[in-house]
Amino acid sequence: MTKLKTLIPRILINLFLFIMSLSCIFPILWMIYSSLKTQQEFNTNIISLPTRLNFQNYIDAFRIGKMDTYFVNSVIVTVLTVVLTVVISFLAAYILARFNFPGRGVIYFMFLAGMLIPVHGLLIPVFVEFKSLGLLDQRITLVLPYVAFNLSMGIFLFENFIKTVPLEVEEAAAIDGSSTTRRVLTIVLPMCLPVISTAIILYFLGAWNEFPFALVLIKSPELRTLPVGLTNFNGQFTVNYPQMMAAMVIVVLPVILTYLAFYKKIMQGMTAGAVKG
Amino acid sequence: MNNTAIRPKRWTFFAYLIPGVVIYAFMVLVPLVLALRYSFYKWSGGPKMEWIGLKNYQILLQDEKFWGAFINNLLIVGFSVIGQIGIAFIIAIFLMNKWVKWREFHRTVIFIPVVLSSVVIGFLWSMIYNNDAGLLNWLLTSLGLESWIKPWLDDPNVVMYSVTAPIVWQYIGFYLIIFMASMQSINGEVYEMAEIDGATGMKKTLYITLPLMKDTLKIAVMLCIAGNMKAFDSIFVMTGGGPGNSSTVMAQYAYDTSFKAFKLGYGSAISIGIMVLSVGLIMISRLIGGKSND
Repeated sequence: MTKLKTLIPRILINLFLFIMSLSCIFPILWMIYSSLKTQQEFNTNIISLPTRLNFQNYIDAFRIGKMDTYFVNSVIVTVLTVVLTVVISFLAAYILARFNFPGRGVIYFMFLAGMLIPVHGLLIPVFVEFKSLGLLDQRITLVLPYVAFNLSMGIFLFENFIKTVPLEVEEAAAIDGSSTTRRVLTIVLPMCLPVISTAIILYFLGAWNEFPFALVLIKSPELRTLPVGLTNFNGQFTVNYPQMMAAMVIVVLPVILTYLAFYKKIMQGMTAGAVKG
Repeated sequence: MNNTAIRPKRWTFFAYLIPGVVIYAFMVLVPLVLALRYSFYKWSGGPKMEWIGLKNYQILLQDEKFWGAFINNLLIVGFSVIGQIGIAFIIAIFLMNKWVKWREFHRTVIFIPVVLSSVVIGFLWSMIYNNDAGLLNWLLTSLGLESWIKPWLDDPNVVMYSVTAPIVWQYIGFYLIIFMASMQSINGEVYEMAEIDGATGMKKTLYITLPLMKDTLKIAVMLCIAGNMKAFDSIFVMTGGGPGNSSTVMAQYAYDTSFKAFKLGYGSAISIGIMVLSVGLIMISRLIGGKSND
C-alpha cells in the first residue's frame, strides 16, 4: 500500500516532466520535419511526417528568398562582433582587474550601468545618431552597437576571472623583463580560455539572433541579416508554410548545432550572473 | 590593486582601456544625451526642428496609447513572473528528485527555446495559432475540444494572452537552470536534519528550499521584469501590435511613432519614458523585495 502511495505520484511527476519537455521540443521538431514536405502534403495533413525527403523548400529559400545573402551577412556581422567584443572587453577588463588609477571607479560604474540600461530604449537615439553621421546601411553599422551592448557583460565576466589569475606569475615575468602585452598573451590569456570560450558562444548567440537594431539601422536588402530577412521572406510566401519553415530552420540550425555541442557551457554562461548574484 | 611591479607603460595602458570606453560612450552615452535633447523638439527627421520644451512629455503623460502599451508590458511581466518563475520552480523541485527519469534530457530540452531567435519563435507560434494549419487547433480538435477554437491572434480580447504564451514558453528553461543551480548549492545536510525531524517533501520545499532561495528568486523577478519591459521581437512578428493597438507594447509603440509616423522628437520622448519606467520598476521590485545581500 505504501509502495503504491509513493509510486503513483512518481509516475505522475515523470509524466508531467515528459509533457513539459515535449511541449518545448515538439514545435521545433514539427518545424524541422514539416520544412521537408511539399505544400500540398502539408495542407493534406499538418502533423504527418514527410513521405519522402524533399529539399526543394531549402533550394527555393536560398535562391528566391535570398536567404543565402542574409546568411552570409549574418556570418560577417556575427564574426566581427565576436572578435571585436572579446578583444576590446578582455583588454579593458585586464586594466580594470589589475590596476587602480584615477577615474577607475567612474569607468567601472559606467560599464556596470550598461547592464541596467534597457538597451532597446536606445533604438531611436542610435538611429538618429547614425543618420546624422551617415553610418546607416553599412557593413559596420550593426557591429558597433552589438559590440558596445555586449561590453558590459564581457568586462564583468573577464574581470572576475582575471582576478583569479595569480599575480605572482605575472610579477615574476615582469622582473624577467617581459612587456605587458607579452604577459597578457602568454600568461593571462591562456588561463582565461574557458571563460573566453563561454563569452564567444554567448556573443555569437546574441549577434546572430538580434532583431530590433537590425530592423531599424539596415535598409538595403543586400546588407540584411537573417532575422530581418525572415520577416521579408514572410511577406513573399505567406501561405506556403513548409517553405517558410525551411527559411526558419536555416536561421536556427547553426544555433541548435552549437547548443547541442556546448549546452553545458551555454547554460552555465547565460545564467552565471544570476547564480552568483 | 597597485601592482607597481607589473604596471604597463602609459601608452599600453591607454591602448588597452580606451577602445572599450570610446565605443561604449559612442553607442550608449551619446545616444542617451541625444534622446534627451531631441525629446524637447518637434521633429520628423528632416532639417526643420522646432523647440517645444516639455510639450512632448506633457503629451506622453496623457497618451492613452502609450499607457495602454505600458499596461500590456505589465501584463506580460505579471504572466511571466507567475508562468516562467512559477513553472520553472516546480520543474526544478521535481528534477531534484533522484528517482526522476532522464533528468539531463529534460533540463537540456527545456532550455533549447532560450537560445533560439525570438523572431523564429514568433513565426513558429503564428503557425501554431493559425486557424486551419495550426498546431493548437489541431490539438484541440483531436482532444474533442473544437468549441475552444478561437481566432487566437485576431480577437482583441484574447490576443494579449496569445502573444504572452510564447514569451513565457521560451524562457522557462532559463529560470529552470538558475533555480537548479541554486538548489544544488543548498547543503544536503540541511535536508537530512529536517528529515530526521520528520519533514516531508512539501514541507521541505516550503520551509527549507524556498527561504534559502530567497535571493535567487529576487534576482529572477528582477531579470523577468527587465526582460519583459523590452518585449518586442516575437510580438512584432506575430501581430505587429494589432488588431488595432490591442497587443502593442512600449517598444512597438516607440517604433511605430518614429518609423511609421516619423515623429522622431516624440519617439525620443517615448524612449526616455521606456527607460525611466523600466529602471523605475526594477528599483521598486528591489525595494519591495527588501535589501538583498548581493
